[in-house]
Amino acid sequence: MERKSWQIPVTIVLIFVGILLTLQFQSQTRVLTDLSTQKTEHLITMVRNLSDKRTSLMEELATLENTLQELKVSGATDANIIENLNADLKRLSIVNGEKEVSGPGLTVTFSEYDPILYTDLVLLINELWAAGAEAIAINETRVNFNTVIFYGEVNNSMYITANHIPLSFPITIKAIGNPNTLDKGLTLPGGIIDNLALFQAFPEIEQQEELVLPAVEKKVPFYNARDVEKN
Amino acid sequence: MKKWVLPITIVCMISGLLLSLQLRAQSTIVSNPISERNQALIEIINKLENETDVIQSQISKIREEIETIEERKSYGQEDIIQLQNKVQKARKEAGLIPLKGPGLVIILDDNKAGLQAAQNDDPNRYIIHYENILNVISELKLAKVEAISINGQRIVTSSEIRCVGNVILVNTTRLAPPFEIKAIGNPSFLEDILLSGEFELLKNLGFPVSYTKHTSEDPIEIPAYAGSFQFKYIKSD
Repeated sequence: MERKSWQIPVTIVLIFVGILLTLQFQSQTRVLTDLSTQKTEHLITMVRNLSDKRTSLMEELATLENTLQELKVSGATDANIIENLNADLKRLSIVNGEKEVSGPGLTVTFSEYDPILYTDLVLLINELWAAGAEAIAINETRVNFNTVIFYGEVNNSMYITANHIPLSFPITIKAIGNPNTLDKGLTLPGGIIDNLALFQAFPEIEQQEELVLPAVEKKVPFYNARDVEKN
Repeated sequence: MKKWVLPITIVCMISGLLLSLQLRAQSTIVSNPISERNQALIEIINKLENETDVIQSQISKIREEIETIEERKSYGQEDIIQLQNKVQKARKEAGLIPLKGPGLVIILDDNKAGLQAAQNDDPNRYIIHYENILNVISELKLAKVEAISINGQRIVTSSEIRCVGNVILVNTTRLAPPFEIKAIGNPSFLEDILLSGEFELLKNLGFPVSYTKHTSEDPIEIPAYAGSFQFKYIKSD
Protein backbone atom coordinates (compact mmCIF):
# COMPACT_ATOMS: atom_id res chain seq x y z
CA MET A 1 0.00 0.00 0.00
CA GLU A 2 1.30 3.37 -0.92
CA ARG A 3 1.65 5.55 2.13
CA LYS A 4 0.72 9.18 1.79
CA SER A 5 2.83 11.71 3.61
CA TRP A 6 -0.08 13.05 5.68
CA GLN A 7 -1.14 9.73 7.18
CA ILE A 8 1.26 9.67 10.13
CA PRO A 9 0.66 13.20 11.41
CA VAL A 10 -3.11 12.79 11.07
CA THR A 11 -3.02 9.49 12.99
CA ILE A 12 -1.01 11.03 15.80
CA VAL A 13 -3.30 14.02 16.02
CA LEU A 14 -6.42 11.81 16.02
CA ILE A 15 -5.04 9.70 18.88
CA PHE A 16 -4.36 12.92 20.77
CA VAL A 17 -7.92 14.12 20.11
CA GLY A 18 -9.27 10.82 21.41
CA ILE A 19 -7.31 11.12 24.65
CA LEU A 20 -8.48 14.70 25.11
CA LEU A 21 -12.09 13.70 24.51
CA THR A 22 -12.00 11.01 27.19
CA LEU A 23 -10.32 13.36 29.65
CA GLN A 24 -12.86 16.03 28.90
CA PHE A 25 -15.76 13.63 29.48
CA GLN A 26 -14.28 12.41 32.74
CA SER A 27 -13.80 15.85 34.18
CA GLN A 28 -17.37 16.76 33.16
CA THR A 29 -19.06 13.88 34.95
CA ARG A 30 -16.94 14.12 38.04
CA VAL A 31 -17.81 17.62 39.14
CA LEU A 32 -21.28 16.92 40.51
CA THR A 33 -21.18 14.54 43.46
CA ASP A 34 -17.60 14.84 44.57
CA LEU A 35 -17.16 16.15 48.09
CA SER A 36 -14.01 18.01 47.11
CA THR A 37 -16.11 20.46 45.10
CA GLN A 38 -18.38 21.33 48.03
CA LYS A 39 -18.18 24.51 50.05
CA THR A 40 -16.81 24.43 53.60
CA GLU A 41 -20.16 25.40 55.13
CA HIS A 42 -21.88 22.51 53.35
CA LEU A 43 -19.24 20.08 54.53
CA ILE A 44 -19.75 21.30 58.09
CA THR A 45 -23.52 20.76 57.77
CA MET A 46 -22.87 17.22 56.54
CA VAL A 47 -20.55 16.50 59.47
CA ARG A 48 -23.19 17.75 61.92
CA ASN A 49 -25.99 15.75 60.34
CA LEU A 50 -23.88 12.61 60.32
CA SER A 51 -22.86 13.10 63.96
CA ASP A 52 -26.51 13.41 64.96
CA LYS A 53 -27.32 10.32 62.94
CA ARG A 54 -24.52 8.36 64.59
CA THR A 55 -25.68 9.35 68.08
CA SER A 56 -29.22 8.32 67.27
CA LEU A 57 -28.06 5.01 65.76
CA MET A 58 -25.90 4.25 68.80
CA GLU A 59 -28.90 4.77 71.06
CA GLU A 60 -31.05 2.53 68.91
CA LEU A 61 -28.34 -0.14 68.93
CA ALA A 62 -28.06 0.04 72.74
CA THR A 63 -31.83 -0.41 73.15
CA LEU A 64 -31.85 -3.37 70.76
CA GLU A 65 -28.84 -4.99 72.41
CA ASN A 66 -30.59 -4.72 75.75
CA THR A 67 -33.69 -6.43 74.42
CA LEU A 68 -31.67 -9.19 72.81
CA GLN A 69 -29.67 -9.72 76.01
CA GLU A 70 -32.84 -10.05 78.06
CA LEU A 71 -34.28 -12.56 75.64
CA LYS A 72 -31.11 -14.61 75.64
CA VAL A 73 -30.42 -14.56 79.37
CA SER A 74 -33.93 -15.55 80.30
CA GLY A 75 -33.77 -18.36 77.76
CA ALA A 76 -36.73 -16.79 76.02
CA THR A 77 -39.50 -18.01 78.27
CA ASP A 78 -43.05 -17.36 77.17
CA ALA A 79 -43.46 -14.70 79.85
CA ASN A 80 -40.35 -12.94 78.68
CA ILE A 81 -41.34 -13.07 75.05
CA ILE A 82 -44.75 -11.66 75.86
CA GLU A 83 -43.15 -8.83 77.83
CA ASN A 84 -40.79 -7.96 74.97
CA LEU A 85 -43.48 -8.22 72.32
CA ASN A 86 -45.61 -5.79 74.33
CA ALA A 87 -42.67 -3.39 74.66
CA ASP A 88 -42.07 -3.61 70.87
CA LEU A 89 -45.72 -3.03 70.19
CA LYS A 90 -45.78 0.05 72.39
CA ARG A 91 -42.77 1.57 70.64
CA LEU A 92 -44.05 0.70 67.16
CA SER A 93 -47.41 2.24 67.98
CA ILE A 94 -45.63 5.58 68.40
CA VAL A 95 -43.71 5.04 65.15
CA ASN A 96 -46.92 4.22 63.30
CA GLY A 97 -48.94 6.99 64.92
CA GLU A 98 -51.52 4.66 66.50
CA LYS A 99 -51.98 6.86 69.53
CA GLU A 100 -52.43 10.50 70.39
CA VAL A 101 -49.04 11.84 71.48
CA SER A 102 -47.92 14.94 73.34
CA GLY A 103 -44.70 16.84 73.89
CA PRO A 104 -42.91 20.13 73.23
CA GLY A 105 -42.36 21.36 69.69
CA LEU A 106 -43.17 23.93 67.06
CA THR A 107 -46.26 25.19 65.28
CA VAL A 108 -46.26 26.81 61.84
CA THR A 109 -49.49 28.58 60.98
CA PHE A 110 -50.59 29.84 57.56
CA SER A 111 -53.43 32.32 57.32
CA GLU A 112 -55.77 32.55 54.35
CA TYR A 113 -53.70 35.49 53.09
CA ASP A 114 -50.61 33.37 52.60
CA PRO A 115 -50.42 32.29 48.95
CA ILE A 116 -49.29 28.69 49.35
CA LEU A 117 -49.37 25.56 47.24
CA TYR A 118 -49.66 21.98 48.41
CA THR A 119 -46.01 21.48 47.51
CA ASP A 120 -45.06 24.14 50.09
CA LEU A 121 -46.63 21.98 52.78
CA VAL A 122 -44.86 18.87 51.45
CA LEU A 123 -41.55 20.75 51.58
CA LEU A 124 -42.24 22.16 55.03
CA ILE A 125 -43.04 18.75 56.48
CA ASN A 126 -39.91 17.34 54.85
CA GLU A 127 -37.84 20.12 56.46
CA LEU A 128 -39.37 19.39 59.86
CA TRP A 129 -38.41 15.68 59.60
CA ALA A 130 -34.92 16.77 58.54
CA ALA A 131 -34.74 19.00 61.64
CA GLY A 132 -35.50 16.01 63.87
CA ALA A 133 -39.29 16.12 64.30
CA GLU A 134 -40.63 13.03 66.09
CA ALA A 135 -44.28 13.40 65.06
CA ILE A 136 -46.14 15.82 62.78
CA ALA A 137 -49.77 16.75 62.18
CA ILE A 138 -51.46 19.15 59.74
CA ASN A 139 -54.58 20.61 61.28
CA GLU A 140 -56.17 17.44 62.64
CA THR A 141 -54.41 14.95 60.36
CA ARG A 142 -51.46 13.05 61.80
CA VAL A 143 -48.77 12.55 59.16
CA ASN A 144 -47.61 9.00 58.39
CA PHE A 145 -46.00 7.29 55.38
CA ASN A 146 -49.31 7.18 53.49
CA THR A 147 -50.46 10.76 54.13
CA VAL A 148 -51.46 12.33 50.81
CA ILE A 149 -51.07 16.08 50.59
CA PHE A 150 -52.56 17.38 47.38
CA TYR A 151 -55.16 19.78 46.11
CA GLY A 152 -58.82 19.28 45.40
CA GLU A 153 -61.85 21.17 44.23
CA VAL A 154 -65.00 21.71 46.26
CA ASN A 155 -67.82 23.88 44.84
CA ASN A 156 -65.47 25.39 42.28
CA SER A 157 -62.90 26.43 44.87
CA MET A 158 -59.44 24.96 45.10
CA TYR A 159 -58.30 23.61 48.42
CA ILE A 160 -55.14 22.04 49.71
CA THR A 161 -56.11 18.62 50.98
CA ALA A 162 -54.69 16.17 53.49
CA ASN A 163 -55.86 12.62 52.76
CA HIS A 164 -58.35 14.17 50.31
CA ILE A 165 -60.04 16.26 53.02
CA PRO A 166 -59.91 20.01 52.34
CA LEU A 167 -57.79 21.92 54.87
CA SER A 168 -59.42 25.06 56.15
CA PHE A 169 -57.44 28.11 57.16
CA PRO A 170 -55.65 28.75 59.38
CA ILE A 171 -53.56 25.72 58.39
CA THR A 172 -51.44 24.72 61.35
CA ILE A 173 -48.57 22.27 61.17
CA LYS A 174 -47.62 20.87 64.56
CA ALA A 175 -44.34 19.09 65.11
CA ILE A 176 -43.11 17.45 68.31
CA GLY A 177 -39.37 17.68 68.88
CA ASN A 178 -36.75 20.07 70.19
CA PRO A 179 -38.49 23.46 69.68
CA ASN A 180 -35.23 25.30 69.12
CA THR A 181 -33.78 22.84 66.61
CA LEU A 182 -37.05 22.68 64.68
CA ASP A 183 -37.24 26.48 64.61
CA LYS A 184 -33.67 26.82 63.34
CA GLY A 185 -34.22 24.12 60.72
CA LEU A 186 -36.91 26.28 59.13
CA THR A 187 -35.58 29.78 59.69
CA LEU A 188 -31.94 29.36 58.70
CA PRO A 189 -30.83 31.87 56.03
CA GLY A 190 -31.88 30.64 52.60
CA GLY A 191 -34.16 28.10 54.24
CA ILE A 192 -37.80 27.36 53.57
CA ILE A 193 -39.16 30.38 55.46
CA ASP A 194 -36.91 32.73 53.46
CA ASN A 195 -38.14 31.00 50.33
CA LEU A 196 -41.81 31.38 51.27
CA ALA A 197 -41.22 35.08 51.98
CA LEU A 198 -40.16 35.49 48.34
CA PHE A 199 -43.70 34.46 47.43
CA GLN A 200 -45.26 36.75 50.04
CA ALA A 201 -46.14 33.93 52.42
CA PHE A 202 -45.31 34.75 56.03
CA PRO A 203 -46.36 31.90 58.32
CA GLU A 204 -46.35 32.39 62.05
CA ILE A 205 -43.79 30.20 63.81
CA GLU A 206 -44.16 29.49 67.50
CA GLN A 207 -42.21 27.30 69.87
CA GLN A 208 -44.56 25.36 72.12
CA GLU A 209 -44.12 23.76 75.50
CA GLU A 210 -46.90 21.28 75.04
CA LEU A 211 -48.53 20.05 71.85
CA VAL A 212 -51.05 17.27 71.42
CA LEU A 213 -51.14 15.42 68.09
CA PRO A 214 -54.00 13.12 67.11
CA ALA A 215 -53.60 9.47 66.11
CA VAL A 216 -53.44 8.39 62.45
CA GLU A 217 -56.91 7.86 61.03
CA LYS A 218 -56.19 6.40 57.66
CA LYS A 219 -53.90 3.57 56.68
CA VAL A 220 -53.23 2.06 53.29
CA PRO A 221 -53.41 -1.73 53.61
CA PHE A 222 -50.74 -3.83 51.95
CA TYR A 223 -52.62 -5.18 48.93
CA ASN A 224 -49.57 -5.74 46.77
CA ALA A 225 -46.53 -5.93 49.04
CA ARG A 226 -45.54 -9.31 50.47
CA ASP A 227 -42.83 -10.23 52.94
CA VAL A 228 -39.58 -11.31 51.36
CA GLU A 229 -38.92 -14.93 52.34
CA LYS A 230 -36.08 -15.35 54.78
CA ASN A 231 -33.21 -17.57 53.78
CA MET B 1 -0.93 23.94 -1.45
CA LYS B 2 -0.21 20.39 -0.41
CA LYS B 3 -3.06 17.95 -0.02
CA TRP B 4 -2.53 17.42 3.70
CA VAL B 5 -2.67 21.03 4.75
CA LEU B 6 -6.44 21.31 5.00
CA PRO B 7 -7.15 18.13 7.06
CA ILE B 8 -4.25 18.86 9.41
CA THR B 9 -5.47 22.40 9.93
CA ILE B 10 -8.98 21.21 10.77
CA VAL B 11 -7.75 18.54 13.16
CA CYS B 12 -5.39 21.01 14.83
CA MET B 13 -8.21 23.47 15.31
CA ILE B 14 -10.43 20.81 16.90
CA SER B 15 -7.69 19.62 19.20
CA GLY B 16 -6.91 23.22 20.15
CA LEU B 17 -10.54 23.78 21.06
CA LEU B 18 -10.69 20.59 23.12
CA LEU B 19 -7.44 21.44 24.83
CA SER B 20 -8.73 24.83 25.90
CA LEU B 21 -12.02 23.30 27.15
CA GLN B 22 -10.06 20.72 29.05
CA LEU B 23 -7.81 23.36 30.56
CA ARG B 24 -10.83 25.37 31.58
CA ALA B 25 -12.47 22.39 33.28
CA GLN B 26 -9.18 21.62 35.01
CA SER B 27 -8.57 25.15 36.10
CA THR B 28 -12.00 25.55 37.69
CA ILE B 29 -11.03 22.66 39.91
CA VAL B 30 -7.49 23.88 40.45
CA SER B 31 -8.43 27.49 41.08
CA ASN B 32 -10.77 26.27 43.81
CA PRO B 33 -8.11 24.45 45.78
CA ILE B 34 -9.29 22.15 48.52
CA SER B 35 -8.16 23.88 51.62
CA GLU B 36 -6.65 21.79 54.37
CA ARG B 37 -9.72 22.47 56.44
CA ASN B 38 -12.02 21.07 53.75
CA GLN B 39 -9.76 18.08 53.39
CA ALA B 40 -10.06 17.43 57.12
CA LEU B 41 -13.86 17.78 56.92
CA ILE B 42 -14.04 15.32 54.02
CA GLU B 43 -12.04 12.83 56.05
CA ILE B 44 -14.43 13.24 58.98
CA ILE B 45 -17.42 12.74 56.66
CA ASN B 46 -15.93 9.56 55.22
CA LYS B 47 -15.15 8.25 58.68
CA LEU B 48 -18.64 9.04 59.99
CA GLU B 49 -20.23 7.43 56.93
CA ASN B 50 -18.25 4.25 57.49
CA GLU B 51 -19.20 4.21 61.15
CA THR B 52 -22.91 4.75 60.54
CA ASP B 53 -22.83 2.02 57.88
CA VAL B 54 -21.34 -0.41 60.38
CA ILE B 55 -23.83 0.51 63.12
CA GLN B 56 -26.72 0.21 60.68
CA SER B 57 -25.75 -3.29 59.64
CA GLN B 58 -25.43 -4.22 63.33
CA ILE B 59 -28.90 -2.80 63.96
CA SER B 60 -30.36 -4.78 61.06
CA LYS B 61 -28.71 -7.95 62.32
CA ILE B 62 -29.96 -7.55 65.90
CA ARG B 63 -33.46 -6.65 64.72
CA GLU B 64 -33.53 -9.90 62.76
CA GLU B 65 -32.20 -11.89 65.71
CA ILE B 66 -34.83 -10.46 68.06
CA GLU B 67 -37.50 -11.13 65.46
CA THR B 68 -36.42 -14.76 65.14
CA ILE B 69 -36.54 -15.32 68.91
CA GLU B 70 -39.83 -13.50 69.35
CA GLU B 71 -41.49 -15.20 66.42
CA ARG B 72 -40.61 -18.65 67.73
CA LYS B 73 -43.54 -20.91 67.14
CA SER B 74 -45.53 -21.45 70.31
CA TYR B 75 -48.07 -24.04 69.30
CA GLY B 76 -51.40 -23.82 71.03
CA GLN B 77 -50.64 -20.54 72.74
CA GLU B 78 -53.23 -18.41 71.06
CA ASP B 79 -52.39 -15.24 73.02
CA ILE B 80 -48.70 -15.31 72.05
CA ILE B 81 -49.47 -16.04 68.41
CA GLN B 82 -51.90 -13.14 68.28
CA LEU B 83 -49.39 -10.81 69.88
CA GLN B 84 -46.69 -12.00 67.46
CA ASN B 85 -48.94 -11.27 64.52
CA LYS B 86 -49.69 -7.79 65.82
CA VAL B 87 -46.01 -6.98 66.26
CA GLN B 88 -45.16 -8.36 62.83
CA LYS B 89 -47.89 -6.23 61.26
CA ALA B 90 -46.63 -3.13 63.08
CA ARG B 91 -43.06 -3.85 61.95
CA LYS B 92 -44.23 -4.14 58.37
CA GLU B 93 -46.07 -0.84 58.63
CA ALA B 94 -43.04 0.88 60.18
CA GLY B 95 -40.83 -0.22 57.26
CA LEU B 96 -38.76 -2.70 59.25
CA ILE B 97 -39.47 -5.67 56.97
CA PRO B 98 -38.12 -6.11 53.42
CA LEU B 99 -41.02 -6.29 50.98
CA LYS B 100 -41.61 -7.49 47.44
CA GLY B 101 -44.39 -7.01 44.98
CA PRO B 102 -45.54 -5.43 41.73
CA GLY B 103 -44.90 -1.79 40.98
CA LEU B 104 -42.58 0.60 39.19
CA VAL B 105 -38.84 1.18 39.07
CA ILE B 106 -38.26 4.80 38.14
CA ILE B 107 -34.92 6.24 37.06
CA LEU B 108 -34.19 9.97 37.28
CA ASP B 109 -30.83 11.14 36.01
CA ASP B 110 -28.98 14.41 35.52
CA ASN B 111 -29.21 15.89 32.04
CA LYS B 112 -25.51 15.52 31.22
CA ALA B 113 -26.06 15.76 27.48
CA GLY B 114 -27.96 19.02 27.90
CA LEU B 115 -25.23 20.51 30.06
CA GLN B 116 -22.61 19.39 27.57
CA ALA B 117 -24.49 21.15 24.79
CA ALA B 118 -24.91 24.36 26.78
CA GLN B 119 -21.69 24.75 28.70
CA ASN B 120 -22.25 28.36 29.67
CA ASP B 121 -25.73 27.79 31.02
CA ASP B 122 -26.46 27.43 34.73
CA PRO B 123 -25.56 23.80 35.62
CA ASN B 124 -28.36 23.79 38.20
CA ARG B 125 -30.84 23.57 35.35
CA TYR B 126 -29.42 20.21 34.33
CA ILE B 127 -29.29 18.33 37.61
CA ILE B 128 -31.99 16.48 39.53
CA HIS B 129 -32.82 18.40 42.70
CA TYR B 130 -34.19 16.99 45.92
CA GLU B 131 -37.50 18.75 45.25
CA ASN B 132 -37.91 16.72 42.05
CA ILE B 133 -37.54 13.48 43.99
CA LEU B 134 -39.79 14.73 46.79
CA ASN B 135 -42.50 15.64 44.27
CA VAL B 136 -42.35 12.26 42.53
CA ILE B 137 -42.69 10.54 45.90
CA SER B 138 -45.52 12.69 47.10
CA GLU B 139 -47.36 11.93 43.83
CA LEU B 140 -46.80 8.19 44.26
CA LYS B 141 -48.55 8.45 47.63
CA LEU B 142 -51.60 9.72 45.78
CA ALA B 143 -51.54 6.39 43.91
CA LYS B 144 -51.60 4.44 47.20
CA VAL B 145 -47.98 3.35 47.02
CA GLU B 146 -47.20 0.74 49.69
CA ALA B 147 -43.40 0.91 49.96
CA ILE B 148 -40.69 3.12 48.47
CA SER B 149 -36.91 3.07 48.33
CA ILE B 150 -34.46 5.46 46.70
CA ASN B 151 -31.07 4.02 45.78
CA GLY B 152 -31.62 1.34 48.42
CA GLN B 153 -32.77 3.71 51.18
CA ARG B 154 -36.19 2.67 52.47
CA ILE B 155 -38.53 5.64 52.87
CA VAL B 156 -40.35 5.66 56.20
CA THR B 157 -42.66 8.30 57.72
CA SER B 158 -39.78 10.34 59.14
CA SER B 159 -37.40 9.98 56.15
CA GLU B 160 -36.15 13.31 54.91
CA ILE B 161 -34.92 14.12 51.42
CA ARG B 162 -32.60 17.08 51.41
CA CYS B 163 -29.60 18.58 49.77
CA VAL B 164 -26.45 20.05 51.17
CA GLY B 165 -24.63 21.97 48.47
CA ASN B 166 -25.51 19.86 45.44
CA VAL B 167 -25.34 16.53 47.27
CA ILE B 168 -28.68 14.80 47.83
CA LEU B 169 -29.19 12.97 51.10
CA VAL B 170 -31.93 10.54 52.09
CA ASN B 171 -31.97 9.21 55.67
CA THR B 172 -28.76 11.27 56.01
CA THR B 173 -27.13 8.97 53.44
CA ARG B 174 -25.43 10.54 50.43
CA LEU B 175 -26.95 9.46 47.12
CA ALA B 176 -25.43 9.88 43.69
CA PRO B 177 -27.34 10.05 40.40
CA PRO B 178 -28.92 8.17 38.68
CA PHE B 179 -31.68 8.01 41.29
CA GLU B 180 -33.55 4.73 41.27
CA ILE B 181 -36.96 4.98 42.92
CA LYS B 182 -38.60 1.63 43.60
CA ALA B 183 -42.31 1.74 44.35
CA ILE B 184 -44.51 -1.23 45.29
CA GLY B 185 -48.20 -0.86 44.56
CA ASN B 186 -50.72 -1.26 41.77
CA PRO B 187 -48.54 -0.71 38.66
CA SER B 188 -51.35 0.86 36.59
CA PHE B 189 -52.34 3.35 39.33
CA LEU B 190 -48.72 4.29 39.87
CA GLU B 191 -48.10 4.67 36.14
CA ASP B 192 -51.17 6.91 35.63
CA ILE B 193 -50.06 9.30 38.36
CA LEU B 194 -46.41 9.21 37.31
CA LEU B 195 -47.25 10.19 33.76
CA SER B 196 -49.23 13.25 34.78
CA GLY B 197 -46.80 14.94 37.15
CA GLU B 198 -43.18 15.72 37.96
CA PHE B 199 -41.83 12.81 35.89
CA GLU B 200 -43.43 14.14 32.68
CA LEU B 201 -42.17 17.62 33.50
CA LEU B 202 -38.59 16.36 33.80
CA LYS B 203 -38.97 14.33 30.62
CA ASN B 204 -40.16 17.39 28.71
CA LEU B 205 -37.19 19.36 30.00
CA GLY B 206 -34.92 16.76 28.39
CA PHE B 207 -33.87 14.83 31.49
CA PRO B 208 -33.06 11.16 30.86
CA VAL B 209 -35.88 9.71 32.94
CA SER B 210 -37.46 6.28 32.48
CA TYR B 211 -39.47 3.64 34.28
CA THR B 212 -40.24 -0.05 34.08
CA LYS B 213 -43.41 -1.80 35.18
CA HIS B 214 -43.19 -4.95 37.26
CA THR B 215 -45.91 -7.54 37.78
CA SER B 216 -46.22 -9.89 40.76
CA GLU B 217 -44.53 -12.58 38.64
CA ASP B 218 -41.57 -10.26 38.25
CA PRO B 219 -41.62 -8.48 41.63
CA ILE B 220 -39.60 -5.54 42.91
CA GLU B 221 -37.74 -6.02 46.19
CA ILE B 222 -37.42 -3.17 48.67
CA PRO B 223 -35.05 -3.42 51.65
CA ALA B 224 -35.98 -2.76 55.28
CA TYR B 225 -35.24 0.52 57.01
CA ALA B 226 -31.91 0.22 58.82
CA GLY B 227 -32.04 3.52 60.70
CA SER B 228 -33.26 4.51 64.12
CA PHE B 229 -36.53 5.59 65.67
CA GLN B 230 -35.69 7.66 68.71
CA PHE B 231 -38.27 9.49 70.77
CA LYS B 232 -36.85 11.98 73.24
CA TYR B 233 -39.57 14.60 73.21
CA ILE B 234 -42.69 12.51 72.80
CA LYS B 235 -44.11 11.69 76.20
CA SER B 236 -45.14 8.09 76.41
CA ASP B 237 -47.06 6.92 79.41
